[in-house]
Amino acid sequence: MTNGTTEYQAKDYKSDLKPIWCPGCGDFAVVQGIYRALAAIGRPPHEIAFVSGIGCSSRIPGYTTAYGFNSVHGRSLPIAQGIKMANPDLLVLAAGGDGDGFSIGGGHLPHMVRRNMDIAYIVMDNQIYGLTKGQLSPTSAKGRTTATSRYGSLEQPVNPLLYMLAYGAGFVAQAAPTDLAGMASIIEQAIRYPGFAFVNIQSPCVTYGEEGQQIKALKAMGVTLDSLGHNSGDRLAAMDLASHYGEKLHLGIFYKNPEPPPTYGDLVKERQELLSKDALPPERILDLFIKK
Amino acid sequence: MTIIGIDFAKLTLMDALDLAILIEDEARERYEEFAHQMDRTHTPEAAKFFRYMVENETKHGQEITKRRAEHFGSAPATVSPDLLFDVEAPDYDATRAFMSARQAMQAALSSEHKAHRFFEAAAAAVQDDDVRTLFQDLRDEELTHQAMVEAEIAKLGPDDPGTLEDYPDDLAPQ
Amino acid sequence: MSDVGPARKGRDMGSGIIVPSCRDLVFGMAGSGGDGIVSAGDSLLQAAAAEGYHGVMTKSFGSQIRGGESSCRVRISTTPILNPGGNLDVAVALNWEDFLKFGAELPVSGTTVVIYEAATGIAPDQIPLVGVTPRQVIACPMTQMAKDSAGTERAKNTVVLGLIAGWFGIGAVAVMKGIRKKLAKKGEELVEANQRAFDAGRAFAMENPLTVSMNIVASDTKGNVKLITDGNDMCAAAAIFAGCRFFGGYPITPSTEIMQFFTDHVWKYGGSVLQAEDEIAGIGAAVGASFAGVKSMTATSGPGLSLKTEMMGLASIAELPLVIIDVQRGGPSTGLPTKTEQSDLFAACFSAHGDVVRPVLAPTSVADTFRITVEAFNIAEQYQTPVIVLSDQEISQRKETLDPIDTSQFTIIDRLEPTGSDLVDYKRFKQTDSHISPISHPGMQGGTYLASGIEHVESGAPTNSGTVHKRMNTKRVKKLDPLKDRKDLFEVLGNADAPLAMVAWGSVAGVCREALQMAKAEGINVKLLVPYLLYPVAEGAYHDFFDSVQKGLIIEQTHLAQYFKLLRMHLDLPAGVRSVARDGANPFLPREIVAMLHRLLSELQRSHEDNLQPQE
Repeated sequence: MTNGTTEYQAKDYKSDLKPIWCPGCGDFAVVQGIYRALAAIGRPPHEIAFVSGIGCSSRIPGYTTAYGFNSVHGRSLPIAQGIKMANPDLLVLAAGGDGDGFSIGGGHLPHMVRRNMDIAYIVMDNQIYGLTKGQLSPTSAKGRTTATSRYGSLEQPVNPLLYMLAYGAGFVAQAAPTDLAGMASIIEQAIRYPGFAFVNIQSPCVTYGEEGQQIKALKAMGVTLDSLGHNSGDRLAAMDLASHYGEKLHLGIFYKNPEPPPTYGDLVKERQELLSKDALPPERILDLFIKK
Repeated sequence: MTIIGIDFAKLTLMDALDLAILIEDEARERYEEFAHQMDRTHTPEAAKFFRYMVENETKHGQEITKRRAEHFGSAPATVSPDLLFDVEAPDYDATRAFMSARQAMQAALSSEHKAHRFFEAAAAAVQDDDVRTLFQDLRDEELTHQAMVEAEIAKLGPDDPGTLEDYPDDLAPQ
Repeated sequence: MSDVGPARKGRDMGSGIIVPSCRDLVFGMAGSGGDGIVSAGDSLLQAAAAEGYHGVMTKSFGSQIRGGESSCRVRISTTPILNPGGNLDVAVALNWEDFLKFGAELPVSGTTVVIYEAATGIAPDQIPLVGVTPRQVIACPMTQMAKDSAGTERAKNTVVLGLIAGWFGIGAVAVMKGIRKKLAKKGEELVEANQRAFDAGRAFAMENPLTVSMNIVASDTKGNVKLITDGNDMCAAAAIFAGCRFFGGYPITPSTEIMQFFTDHVWKYGGSVLQAEDEIAGIGAAVGASFAGVKSMTATSGPGLSLKTEMMGLASIAELPLVIIDVQRGGPSTGLPTKTEQSDLFAACFSAHGDVVRPVLAPTSVADTFRITVEAFNIAEQYQTPVIVLSDQEISQRKETLDPIDTSQFTIIDRLEPTGSDLVDYKRFKQTDSHISPISHPGMQGGTYLASGIEHVESGAPTNSGTVHKRMNTKRVKKLDPLKDRKDLFEVLGNADAPLAMVAWGSVAGVCREALQMAKAEGINVKLLVPYLLYPVAEGAYHDFFDSVQKGLIIEQTHLAQYFKLLRMHLDLPAGVRSVARDGANPFLPREIVAMLHRLLSELQRSHEDNLQPQE
């Protein structure tokens, strides 16, 4: 990590808008981590596009000085892709909650992964729908009581880490505000990874979360992947560890492709360069239809 | 919590003073944020206390800044605030809507304990005598700060009985 | 052959020389998928263009992917064609079972010449066309002729082309030239076989002349440059011309070809295209690209429009330029994917919750698809709004010849960007006299802002204030007001003060243009209004038009008379103006509209007489 070596500091990425989050919300720490990561990378705020969906955590772009787009529920990833394709030089980030990403937005995930655009996606996972008053989320544990599961959830939860690893994502990590420096570092590495990068952050909800999900409990639970001697170049070992999502809190990089393939943007650029010589000037494009 | 990217063994006095100033800055900014949070959730007693802590941290910072200026004038600092992660600043986890003044004070108190532990460990890690002295002084000052907070706590009457859960507000879905 | 003017009969001068006298011929052909009917139609169209004729081809299929029934209509004329035409002049049936499935598209009448496959074993006076006696019925052993001449049944469509060349004088040379080109890579033997098949067909025609000759007159525009294309390709080309450099979409009949044009060509212009995982991701990517400062579009049909609704609302409140092409097909839901209809009008104008006004434009032909698509981008960029272009299956899939379009006559409008002082304390949604705020994009220093679906103040920061909300709604709606004064987006044909009127949009306008010509020739004083801008409703243009009108028809292909109701929401129509609404897949024919106009005229005359009666 190279904090303090660019001309930017964390405060350069912090906007004046005061978060609507409940005091104690994990997202405060997450956005701080994002500020640190961006400062370490040193791109000017106006070259950053930050897209989110809908949810408490999706408010996050407004709390940065980047170009923000707080869009609609579950659709941050398609919009982020359009931005990246339109201007590949931008630093593009996407963020949202576990519901935004793995429920309504779930259909977009495998396609993000297989297109492999250079975009970092941060999910603030709190196993609940906070903004709408405490309903079940796709990562809520089975049996969990919520506003929409008074008698306990009947569903097996999604495993975000395992799914993203199984989809073939080139960078999958998990972090928590229990280790701020570590979290900032993971976010930075995700942004730096040349391709689609996914970071799941356990960011507790103080209003609807259970006692066992709060920072204190997470601090006791957290185990770094480094301390387990995990090799982040081994996808299968990563998947094995990821299968314990929900029971264990593993922090760190599960998988990082040691040989990242060309990104979608690389391939598009190649194609544009190859084909540009075949272009009719736009004002003559109808010549394509001339009856020969 | 922690500072990254610093080799304490090689820490110079100027950098140490600058770090100390940044530590106070970080804490002051955090207390400011907390005060705003308390305003927005209509928790005035805690807001009032956090603002009191803002004043304290500002004062502490000014004292160290004076020392730094005496020794090093306006030589530019080489350490960045981005190296600090909640050294003396209370964790974001510390606040809650409708927290009592007592709970706010306890959060500040545990931060002072945290800072004390930090300076103690830092003092042990540095090799420069002047720097060690600085950190030991700062460590000892934390005890003074702790005492101030404990005094505030002592002034408090008993808390409202029950927990936050007993005073439900109308949670507003968005 | 349109029903305009005196009957067109060729005259045999007695010496065996046929004097061509037809100016317009409508061919309809049907068979099964493997018969190559559509390929034959295409060859015919290309040949006609090469010979300087105007031509239009439409296709119609059954629902199987392979081997199902298929048909095409080709209308060839010495004058510009307004609409694919009504009754067939020539019907070619390779088998009757399939031909009869296309009753609506291939209407046979008393002036039709029917050519059918002799191997069906049906006698010419026994053909299964109910209630109609064609002018002439010819059984021709096309399949056998193909086998004999080319050694394969597959060549029967070439036999048909030979018959057409022989009987109607189209493509004698040009058809084989085209076939030669198409099959060049497949070897000389195949080309030669086709030549033999063609010659066999031509010979049959020469040996069996029609009772009434129908040779087509030579075109006097032979040698002029002509374009051949369909509505979808034209739309995509226009978009690239207008500066569109991003397309996000998803395959859906009948709009997919627009995306395919982009996947073939947009890379050459430094642009890109994403076939997304679903309709929502497609428009989502286009919204993102627009946010990033690039002219963007998506294209779909009815079901996709429904899915895209939320994103369109987002683009409206975020004031992002975006073009959405909806190539309408039969609805609701999956509806009739391969048939045309105009029933997405309500959805285009009104769908998306909240108070949203979204411009809706509609082309009426392949040719004006160019202009309307360019206009859509200009409006989207100028007013920072999503714009819907309502094309339809008929226009999108119809291939026609066109005169070249002079692209230099078009102005391209780009979005208003902030400069200098705008970028100091930049307010993305700053209130201005025009209600249009300069719009920045990522990469522009000083222009950072938060775009969102949530209501916002001038800076873009979220708000739930009623006062601000009213101000912002007003801004978003009023900024579009100047569109209501766009007289250039309305076309009036006929006498400006005519008491009878027709109003029609989209492909129905083409039918009405032809009906107008026919009606005028029959002495009816009627005018036609063709709106290219459907929404917001330009009350002024309609009031001007209806000022002289006593009786009129609002003609559309919807079950609910959506356009008629849309107009009545916004203006008082004269009492004598009524709705003629018909569900899709049931095309209007110019003749029947003319008949309606005759009835209107009678009503008008009667009411005048009533008015002139002395009071009793």
